[in-house]
Amino acid sequence: MSGKRISLIVNGESVKAEVLVNRLLSDFLRDDLALTGTKRGCETGVCGACSVLVDGDVVKSCLSLAAQVDGKTLTTVEGLGRIGDLHPLQESFMAHGGLQCGYCTPGFLLAAADLLSRNPDPQDAEIREALSGNLCRCTGYQGIVDAVRNVAESTHGN
Amino acid sequence: MREFEFLEPQTLTEALAMMSEYEDDACVYAGGTALLLAMRQRMLSPGFVVSLGKLDELREITFNPAEGLRIGALARHSDVARAPDVQAHYPMLAGMAGGLANPQVRNQGTIGGNLCYADPATDPPSCLIAMDAEVTIAGPGGERRLPMREFVVDFFTTALEPGEILTHITLPPPRPDRTGLYRRHLRTPAEHRPVANVALTFRDVNGVPEDVRLVIGAAVPVAQSMTRAEDFLTARAITLDVAAEAAAMVAEDIDPISDGRGEEAFRRQVVRAITRRILAEAAGLNWKDAAA
Amino acid sequence: MTSAIVGEPLPQVSAQEKTLGRAIYSGDVKVAGMLHAKLLRSPYSHAVIRSIDTSAAEALPGVKAVVTGADVPERAWGVAHKQQHVLARGLVRFAGEEVAAVVAVSEAVAQEALDLIVVEYEEAGALLDPEGALDGGAPKVHAEGNLADEINISRGDVEAGFAGADIVHEATYRTHSQYPGYMEPMATVAATDGTGKLTVWTSTQSVFLARQRLAEALDRPVSTIRVIQATVGGGFGAKIVEERSSVIAAFLATVVDRPVRVGLSRLDDIQSGCFSVPTRIHLKMGMMRDGRIVAKDVQVLADCGAYAGLAPEVMLVTAMRSDNMQRIENVRTKAQLVYTHTMPRGAFRGFGGTQMSFALNSHMAVMADMLGMDAIELHRKNAIRTGDVSVHGWNIGSCGLPECLDQVQAAIGWDEKRARPKGTGVLRRGVGMAAVMHVSGNRTMGNWDGSTVVLKVNEDGRAVILTAESDMGQGANTMLSQICAQELGIPLSHVTVQAPDTDSAPYCLGSIASRVTVNAGHAMLKAARQAQGQILEAAAEKLGCDADELSIVDGVVQSNKNGNLFAPLPEICRYHIFRRGGEGILVRATHDPQTVMMDKDHYGNIAPAYSFAAQAVEVEVDTETGQVRVVDTYLSDDCGKAINPLAVHGQSNGAAVQSIGWTLYEHLQFEDGRVMNGNLADYTMPTAESVPTIQSGIVESNDPNGPLGAKGASETAILPGAPAIANAVFDAIGVRITDLPITPEKILAGLAAKEESQHA
Repeated sequence: MSGKRISLIVNGESVKAEVLVNRLLSDFLRDDLALTGTKRGCETGVCGACSVLVDGDVVKSCLSLAAQVDGKTLTTVEGLGRIGDLHPLQESFMAHGGLQCGYCTPGFLLAAADLLSRNPDPQDAEIREALSGNLCRCTGYQGIVDAVRNVAESTHGN
Repeated sequence: MREFEFLEPQTLTEALAMMSEYEDDACVYAGGTALLLAMRQRMLSPGFVVSLGKLDELREITFNPAEGLRIGALARHSDVARAPDVQAHYPMLAGMAGGLANPQVRNQGTIGGNLCYADPATDPPSCLIAMDAEVTIAGPGGERRLPMREFVVDFFTTALEPGEILTHITLPPPRPDRTGLYRRHLRTPAEHRPVANVALTFRDVNGVPEDVRLVIGAAVPVAQSMTRAEDFLTARAITLDVAAEAAAMVAEDIDPISDGRGEEAFRRQVVRAITRRILAEAAGLNWKDAAA
Repeated sequence: MTSAIVGEPLPQVSAQEKTLGRAIYSGDVKVAGMLHAKLLRSPYSHAVIRSIDTSAAEALPGVKAVVTGADVPERAWGVAHKQQHVLARGLVRFAGEEVAAVVAVSEAVAQEALDLIVVEYEEAGALLDPEGALDGGAPKVHAEGNLADEINISRGDVEAGFAGADIVHEATYRTHSQYPGYMEPMATVAATDGTGKLTVWTSTQSVFLARQRLAEALDRPVSTIRVIQATVGGGFGAKIVEERSSVIAAFLATVVDRPVRVGLSRLDDIQSGCFSVPTRIHLKMGMMRDGRIVAKDVQVLADCGAYAGLAPEVMLVTAMRSDNMQRIENVRTKAQLVYTHTMPRGAFRGFGGTQMSFALNSHMAVMADMLGMDAIELHRKNAIRTGDVSVHGWNIGSCGLPECLDQVQAAIGWDEKRARPKGTGVLRRGVGMAAVMHVSGNRTMGNWDGSTVVLKVNEDGRAVILTAESDMGQGANTMLSQICAQELGIPLSHVTVQAPDTDSAPYCLGSIASRVTVNAGHAMLKAARQAQGQILEAAAEKLGCDADELSIVDGVVQSNKNGNLFAPLPEICRYHIFRRGGEGILVRATHDPQTVMMDKDHYGNIAPAYSFAAQAVEVEVDTETGQVRVVDTYLSDDCGKAINPLAVHGQSNGAAVQSIGWTLYEHLQFEDGRVMNGNLADYTMPTAESVPTIQSGIVESNDPNGPLGAKGASETAILPGAPAIANAVFDAIGVRITDLPITPEKILAGLAAKEESQHA
């Protein structure tokens, strides 16, 4: 099996790598780039724990090959914010009980980021639909929906 | 996942040559959402994966009022849902594509990949059939066009011949008097795939439907045009009774799937319900007051 | 005292590292030289392993070891029933049981090698249906027979109670298995080192129970094993002591003498079991016309699958816990736990309570209708009260059940919605409710329920807590930190909780039986007060005043009498080290609740406190498609005192949704004992779109035995959902569903049967 040289931007940094062509994007991020915030939860594209942004669009990295992201710009949860400079969604998830065990949290943050980039002032039903590709077993989704709504309201001045 | 060669042709001609060369040992790779799963579960183990990722012309969505809509097979569901021309002229299609699966899959899966995988538990086929879509297929011998209704032939089986690639989906120009609705039903609200769906289009001639297309998907192995009900509905004003009668006809005429997500009888019942509802909605009637 | 920390809706102390994606879960742990293992599972429910040929797998480049049942210790492990081995030895008892393991340089190579292992099975007759387990001719799961446990309890005079009852109702209920569905599939990294010690990083609810089990399964001394809890991505009961992959990982590390990682795929995780215990419950109750329950007869048949695990303890809860929620005198229970050739079932949030809650609350609703009485009124009438001693000898130190009932009644608009005319349209709405109780702590897990906390206050006045109680997302560390910060008078951000580690933390049972807040919270309170005492004593010495005139406010020790007498906390802490014999502030406190082990008749006050909850839901039933949607819900939890209301609401909301999943969406399907829907696309857990806004309320009954009044939350909250939904469905369409889950097909069949009977 041949490898492929890929060149991409991950969390603002340029990355060049040689990957096996059957390497999943999720494995590439976790194992090759040590970005373990991207989680493996089902590896069948249902749970959304492995969600990342590719060129701004939220995708499931377990349903993508690393070879496919050549030339793209990626954001993983590690690229959202850092200590002292958290992303508003990270702040809001913390403040509104948008997480408990935290395993699903990176995926939800990225799905929510994608939503708010397209729809800065979503209704609750739109928030729930936008998060329907992510599973959480702890929060009952209430804290998550509250967190996303709150970011929208505070940045939208409602 | 077994090993394979990942081929990235730069042109369609090159892609077709690869498909011809490797024949059964090759798979076309579009968005990857379904194929990757199948390969990881070892349901498919192609030696050559032919990625169409570099064929940008297959992503385009173009519209002109005279010829209609042309969607490249590599357009993602979210591209279809968000395209201004689709939203303006084919809202039924935009709605279907925007409600399919979940946001991530809509950002990864392509309309062409969806059709070629031919999984019955999905949305596009019935919707496209009801909209009189055609598909364009490129092959070693040139291009051919096929009505969408003839494209999927069985569970996970299409009319594609070895070496062929689906390149475009085309829809006829919109007509101001032609309306359409698409509805999907989930077995429970937590389901990810429809257990049944229904697509309806017709020409509204003074409140009476003509040229009716009524297509059932997901509940059946291959999206099915309900010709007896279409004939019954033609030139007949839709009342709640008419809707109920047509729905009963449809429920009788389908040949449902029976599996862990719904036995045959259940699927007939659901199809009957959603058919009655879509007809009532099309006529602006309230289906909620009383059951059929 | 500092500005309030306890009682505030603060973010969890782990929230920042989790939102940054920087919390390290077991599957993220990497150790130099780490190998990867994959497990081969039996395709048969019951089969003799004739032979296993591993030669081809061993020959595959990159494979380091192939291990089978022939290689594992003979000693069997288990909770009370010692009946499992690291890998199946000669016989498989369920489809999915681990028969071999491959250790290789990568998961891909290990996976490939699995395909090369040739196992010759001789299939034997399988017992798949618990109903037939005790029939003479049934295939035997274990040599001693298929009865894993039997419980008989009798109090008062049940027959006389029925004889005197105005109404009697009996019915049979069935509950199905639920997959815990934590988002983190089980993962473990195990490594041996040059001293011979085995270190295990794993996803567990209890590092000490994990260590004890590893010692047993690997047949080696406890002290040669060190278990460290990685961040846990949810447990819900399954990660107490029943999952098996951590045991296999640890054994494999000893075989290859190198670090080994076992990260289960979701399919693996589902196939390996740890679902809740399915039951058949026959319930007969007698009541007086005024609603008083005068007799109750319960028969339970529960299925633990192939191995008993914690299921006997779970069944005990099903058998008798809910009796304590009501003022009843005459009750008789016979409960039998049987083996089948299916995946092991056991602990699950609620620990057997959900099963009986479904039966009892469904039954209460039916009998309320028989009496022409409102269901909430009927619960109120029978509810146990603060100060009561229950029928099984439980001392109810606090009971907020009546207040919970008040809250849900008002919040859902119960009276108006019950009074509205019954719908006749396609979509019909109905409301239903349920009331429940749970323990906070439980002495029956080994006749000990204590908890020890070690508290270090560093020279900068900041604190580190050592405990082996486990945070699996529910917020144990936050609760401990809040109590610590408040008592010490320091900001919450100055408290750190060390991850549980059996080599450094004091012995604890871990996160089971809703015991952490009530027991560890108490130990924390004692430790913090002890540390505070030492600090004030040192400060008194330094400042030249009496310790009892000093307090710590916002990190400053100051005198209540003289405003000029104060010192920053770090100064005092440093003084303590340098001027008091070189000793830093290091205290240890234990809390062992004054509870008793139940006697042989299952009588006795097993828990320091008992928590209560009630829930009301409104559903909409689609009478044409059978789809049920919960459109509104309000869950009220009596947690004694909400140390952190955000966390309590989080538990209630999560529990409410998990119970919606169990009731309406999740349905494990088997064919010949094999799981047919072992993936999250086909085993459908609730999504954000499939549930309504979840509302929850808190009742603070301030338990005298709880730390600052607090009791457990979370497990109580999962108990009422299913029957509340079933009761709401009945209210909506007049169809009583007695076997879970409530599927669209059952709704349609119920409606059809009702129609038929009306036309007959």
